[in-house]
Amino acid sequence: MRIFKLLISPKFVGFRNGLKKSRRNIKIKILTLTGTGILFWLTLFFLFYRMLIYFSSQEIIGDILARHLLAMVLLIFFSLLIFSHIITALSNLYLSQDLELCHSSPASLIEIFLSRSFYTVIDSSWMLGVFGLPVMMAYGFVYHAGLSYYLSLVYVSFPLVIIAASLGIMVIMVLVRFFPAQRARDIIMFLCLILVVILYLLFRFLRPERLVNPDAFMSVAQYLGALKAPDSPYLPSHWATDLLWARLARYPTAQILNHLLLWSTAFAVAVIDIWIAGLIYFKGFSKAQEAKRRSHIGRRILEKMVSVITRPLGPDITSVIAKDVRTFFRDNSQWSQLLLLGALVVVYLYNFSVLPLERSPIKSIYLQNALSFLNIGLAGFVISAVSVRFIFPAVSSEGQAFWIILSSPLSPRRFLWSKYFAYLLPMLILAEMLIIYTNYLLKVTAFMMALSAVTIFFLVFGIVALGVGLGAVYPNFRHENIAQVATGFGGLIYMIISSVFIALVIMLEAGPVYAILSAHFKEEAITRLEWIWIVGSFILVIFLNIFAVQRPMAAGLKAINGYEG
Amino acid sequence: MIRFENLTKIYRGIRAVDGLNLEIPQGTIFGFIGPNGAGKTTTIKMMAGVLRPTRGRIYINGLDIAKEPSKAKRIIGFIPDQPFLYEKLSGIEFLRFKAGLYGMKGNRLGEKILDLLNLFELSDWADELIESYSHGMKQRLIIASAMIHEPRVIIVDEPMVGLDPKGAKLVKEIFKEWAKEGATVFMSTHTLALAQEVCQQIAIVDQGRIVASGTSEELEKQAGIEGDLERIFLKITGGVARK
Repeated sequence: MRIFKLLISPKFVGFRNGLKKSRRNIKIKILTLTGTGILFWLTLFFLFYRMLIYFSSQEIIGDILARHLLAMVLLIFFSLLIFSHIITALSNLYLSQDLELCHSSPASLIEIFLSRSFYTVIDSSWMLGVFGLPVMMAYGFVYHAGLSYYLSLVYVSFPLVIIAASLGIMVIMVLVRFFPAQRARDIIMFLCLILVVILYLLFRFLRPERLVNPDAFMSVAQYLGALKAPDSPYLPSHWATDLLWARLARYPTAQILNHLLLWSTAFAVAVIDIWIAGLIYFKGFSKAQEAKRRSHIGRRILEKMVSVITRPLGPDITSVIAKDVRTFFRDNSQWSQLLLLGALVVVYLYNFSVLPLERSPIKSIYLQNALSFLNIGLAGFVISAVSVRFIFPAVSSEGQAFWIILSSPLSPRRFLWSKYFAYLLPMLILAEMLIIYTNYLLKVTAFMMALSAVTIFFLVFGIVALGVGLGAVYPNFRHENIAQVATGFGGLIYMIISSVFIALVIMLEAGPVYAILSAHFKEEAITRLEWIWIVGSFILVIFLNIFAVQRPMAAGLKAINGYEG
Repeated sequence: MIRFENLTKIYRGIRAVDGLNLEIPQGTIFGFIGPNGAGKTTTIKMMAGVLRPTRGRIYINGLDIAKEPSKAKRIIGFIPDQPFLYEKLSGIEFLRFKAGLYGMKGNRLGEKILDLLNLFELSDWADELIESYSHGMKQRLIIASAMIHEPRVIIVDEPMVGLDPKGAKLVKEIFKEWAKEGATVFMSTHTLALAQEVCQQIAIVDQGRIVASGTSEELEKQAGIEGDLERIFLKITGGVARK
């Protein structure tokens, strides 16, 4: 036990020292993160609260809907917990740099395994608190649950986390026994991503919004069939659902079987995990230390692409862009995120294709143009979401090799602009494709088509500059995985500022566009005062776009010039 | 030629480098030695343009690195102590990338890259991703990349880390060859035997200040003892030999 405590202590001491070290910026960070966290919690809480209130107002099916929703939520949490444990277990048990030190110490294999599993549980299960608590609180509020419900939450979560952790760790131990750890990571990342994309697409294509509109179904049987959640009495999330629902609905029946099933399973899988660790953990760890694989994947296609993209630029900028393109397509953690991007775009376009414009009580032509206008904002937001994944980490992607750039004759200014131009063209193409295709689906007027295309064109310049510039202001050169960069504090700041920028542009354009459309539909002339207003607003939009390019790039340049290693 | 004028670096109130003044003539192999935390790597990073000095100036062949960083960096070859590289590039791609940063292109570049890969015995690994290289191979690749633009000043931090005896011998010979051709080599090292063997001038730095400098013979005189550099070093920096 003493050795176990010693082995887990570096994480806590490191966390405490990290807080001490960053004392200067900690207030702003804590304030921003707490503010965003509270906002997120409240949004999630009210969303579920409203939904459950609505359900409870529906006779007969209200409680069925609420229970099914609870089962779905717990099943999703349980699945995510398993995946999260698989990913973090791979780092904690096989790839962390301090593992060599641990394995060369006199600590026993089981002590090392348990301490690393403890890290894995801590790293993976915090999200249950962040995402789960507001949902469970909403249930408690709506069903006027007593203290026993809230105590049950802790009582039920604990074995659920243990089961998910043990299963996740078990999967990774078996996988690493047969594949080198690096390859196992690639496989897992890819499978997880495919799974997320499939779940996302399935969820969207099932159109869950129809469930609150029973009229859309042919018969009651069909409706109840659609309600059926993917639940099974053999799943731990099912036992947890039964236990919690009994507290919420105040069932008089005892839940002894579910209690026993949940806790005995948790105990059993934990014991099996330790037993398997004794058999194969060290063999897998030893295999993970072997040299990484060599790779020749897609070299010829890549070379051609790089030469076409970079031909017109100078040799220094060409080198940086060519290096970035090569790295992007060879790093599985980077290119695989294109799948997420693809799913995001498909669902975005799908939503527009199923809009019931003809059934709207508002005159269709007004609605089409209003939607087209809002679409500029939505497309801008999609571009921001893509940018936070791909552009914000552009500077951080140099990693610890950043010394090569700093010690080269390439000036920080040229370096930063090379990053900017490398991403500008693909983002412009993506944004224009999104806006033109959705406007085509909406059958908007030529004026709205032109306005949307021009507005998004200029918005992209600002969004990309914000990504590159803020990415340089909040760099993370010591990341283990480039995907981590976007999820940090800087990524959050980027999303906030980018959203404000898009909202400001939309707000500035909204009034003048309404005036132009009104005049057009009413066949009236635009007054002189309105012209002044329109021109003034569009000049302000131009200035705002220039500002959005210049300021973040200047801030990024300042940050690189002041970089202290 | 390299010149420091009152070079100072302060990190959060701590003087890592404290008013260094130094002039190193062209064609010299200069050894910069000192205990851990003496400010060697900080000085080297400032010379390479990776860190900004808090005060003072660094001149590389007459060019102020703060005022004309691009021009100065064009004539510098920097070899850091830790071989952090772009792991997803192959060795040959990395050398092409490095050449590109120095504005180099054309047919002759390909030949030059192959020559360097041959010289550092990396030809068989040229098309493999750097992530599959050993520590020593990465170090050899960095040295090869530092040579690609034929620098006039070489700044090198712990050149022998990770190199096998054959690699270490090769690097020593290359440094001597460069110096003979008029290049200046500024080398920080803990390997005192290496400093004694290849350096024409040596400075001993402690707590950010130069505490002794000159040729091996001059250092012997300053320390007041005869013998190898290790004894002189320990006496000057307060190690065992003083006792």
